[in-house]
Amino acid sequence: MENRSWSSSSRRWRGSYRRKRRKPWGERLADWTRNFIAFLFSNVGIVGLVVGYTIAGAFVFTAIEGKHSLKRSGDVARLRYFTASNLWEVTLEENTIRESVWRNRVRAILKKYQKDIVEAIRNGYDGTEDNKQWSFAGAFLYSLTVITTIGYGNISPRTEWGKVVTIVYAIAGMPLFLLYLSNIGDILARSFKWTYARCCLCRCRRKPRGAGAPPPRDAARMNQWQIVKVHGGELETSSIEQEDSSSGGVAEDEEDEDEDDDDDEDSYDPQQVTVPLTLCLAIMVGYVCGGALLFSKWEVWDFLDGSYFCFISLSTIGFGDIVPGDEIYSSEGFELSFVFCSMYLMLGMALIAMCFNLMQEEVMAKIRTLGRTARHIFRCDR
Amino acid sequence: MARVPMRSSLRSRDSSSTSTGADPRERIKDCCRKLVAFMCTQVGVGGLVVGYAIVGAFGFMTIETRQEYSHLAEVDKLRNISAKELWIKTAADPEVNVLNKTAFDLRTKLILKKFQENFTLAVKRGYDGRKAIEVWSFPAALMFCLSIFTMIGYGNMVPRTSWGKGTTVMYAVFGIPLYVLYFLNMGKVLAQTFRWLYRWIHECSGKQRTGPRIIVPSTACLWVIFGYIAAGAIMFAEWEGWNYLDSAYFCVTSLCKIGIGDFVPGANILESKSGSQTKLVINFVYLLLGMGLIAMCYNLMREDVRVKARELREDLREALEDIRIKMLTCCRGNPD
Repeated sequence: MENRSWSSSSRRWRGSYRRKRRKPWGERLADWTRNFIAFLFSNVGIVGLVVGYTIAGAFVFTAIEGKHSLKRSGDVARLRYFTASNLWEVTLEENTIRESVWRNRVRAILKKYQKDIVEAIRNGYDGTEDNKQWSFAGAFLYSLTVITTIGYGNISPRTEWGKVVTIVYAIAGMPLFLLYLSNIGDILARSFKWTYARCCLCRCRRKPRGAGAPPPRDAARMNQWQIVKVHGGELETSSIEQEDSSSGGVAEDEEDEDEDDDDDEDSYDPQQVTVPLTLCLAIMVGYVCGGALLFSKWEVWDFLDGSYFCFISLSTIGFGDIVPGDEIYSSEGFELSFVFCSMYLMLGMALIAMCFNLMQEEVMAKIRTLGRTARHIFRCDR
Repeated sequence: MARVPMRSSLRSRDSSSTSTGADPRERIKDCCRKLVAFMCTQVGVGGLVVGYAIVGAFGFMTIETRQEYSHLAEVDKLRNISAKELWIKTAADPEVNVLNKTAFDLRTKLILKKFQENFTLAVKRGYDGRKAIEVWSFPAALMFCLSIFTMIGYGNMVPRTSWGKGTTVMYAVFGIPLYVLYFLNMGKVLAQTFRWLYRWIHECSGKQRTGPRIIVPSTACLWVIFGYIAAGAIMFAEWEGWNYLDSAYFCVTSLCKIGIGDFVPGANILESKSGSQTKLVINFVYLLLGMGLIAMCYNLMREDVRVKARELREDLREALEDIRIKMLTCCRGNPD
């Protein structure tokens, strides 16, 4: 900030040194573009890449599996006709005189029919005439569950090409998704830490006079915060010099100042603020419960089923016994709930990654102290 | 979170190595402690995982077999109702009877369709013709537990009772960290072994390279994984009668923890009676070992990938620098 105003002024004033002054400016521009491109590639770009990859996968799987599934529902219809003609023959034979005999034979035929249907369902029949399993939304959810390694298995490829493509798709997609998770988890963790620090420090700022002085290490940061507060109109008496030195800059361009502050905080916080474990756990539990509430309202599940589904999905176990949009009759809400489910999953996994990212330091510190005490005890024993 | 146990074990190793004093008694003590630590980390964690799976298997067996599936009776009732309806609507109806085939066909098809729809719903809820006791045999329950804490989640067998669901969630909450511990430990041990093996072969092949450390190339890891998958594919194809594509598909989706669950060895209806028990146990071992191998490759490839990424970054930076300089000279050249 300071630097830039100086350099710009120097550019204006000293025309003779233009050559020399220009180079850092160009470098800074290059730096800025490079940072911007890096940001695009690492955050927005990676989200776009994951979504694009999933959409491409959805198209490919729809193209490969769609035809086959239509053929299968035709097979089931044929099975039904065959059973009907079987029944006709039985009726002709027994001639409707003795009910018990007729009924026994009919029951046997129905049992066989039932077994065939179980087989057909295992081979991918889903109970509708125009098989909606491999509609675009279904294929999208399938691709997402493959790259997130959830793998519900309510929809699975039946053709050979589908299987080969699934293998290749998984091998290429999983590293991509891991990249997404680590990047987004990092970003989310950083921003969460930032918000947490802001809340925490706001609380600390009022408290410390009574509850004991803040640790000296925090003093510099306190000043930073007070500058931020100056923006909001609250004046602090303790940091006048700091205020003075930067007030000129504040007047000049406020947005820039804000951005600079953010940057400063970002570089400060990750070392200094640790988010407590309980908060992370609360976020995860809250996300699962929120999802459970939403899904139990959306579908016809009870709360236990909803939270079970959310947990099983977010821990990437993915049994697939309960999947949204799985009811046969809810044909119009089908697509929407699939899309909603995919969004819930993508966001949730990023959130979980964030929580792990946040918990990492805390757990590590805890384990270190535990190890130290354990070592201490062992030393005493010997 | 994933990095935590490794760090802690690293730390413990550090502490043990620093305390290696000159005193021989101290050294013996240190050796003993190392042995205990080894038992606690590698073998111990492996045993813990297996024990946890066995305990979970017994737990789920008792929970899930306590009450019979309700949908079994439902399906029976459904079939009886359909048969009765058929009798009333077709055979007993004097108009339709055996005289009018088209009317008979029409009504039969309608009834059958209704039956089919209801039945499909029942199958979706988990009916597959087996009783709870048949489904929850011990090896199958073992597989189920494995699929929970490795996060594979085949979904070919799932808890149906609400107690079972709650227990599954709790079991996963405690099992997954344990499994991650196993994964990291196993990965480290296997990686060390593999690295040693690779170095040994490297030295035996005559190339006496005196570099500080030989980094195992990632292609070797990929070959190991590929070989493991191929072996698994052949094994399952021989046992289960699948074709090679199917069993390769099963191996990849299992080892990637996707677990689609359309193919699960030893869990088919046809297989449930015959000697699938040993196969399931071998499948269990195959999966656990495979996860360890994946961890090993992850461990080995990480440094390789890191080195490669650094090189790539250097190259990119150089290229960018070149471009920038060229651009600058171009821009500056024009106005002059």
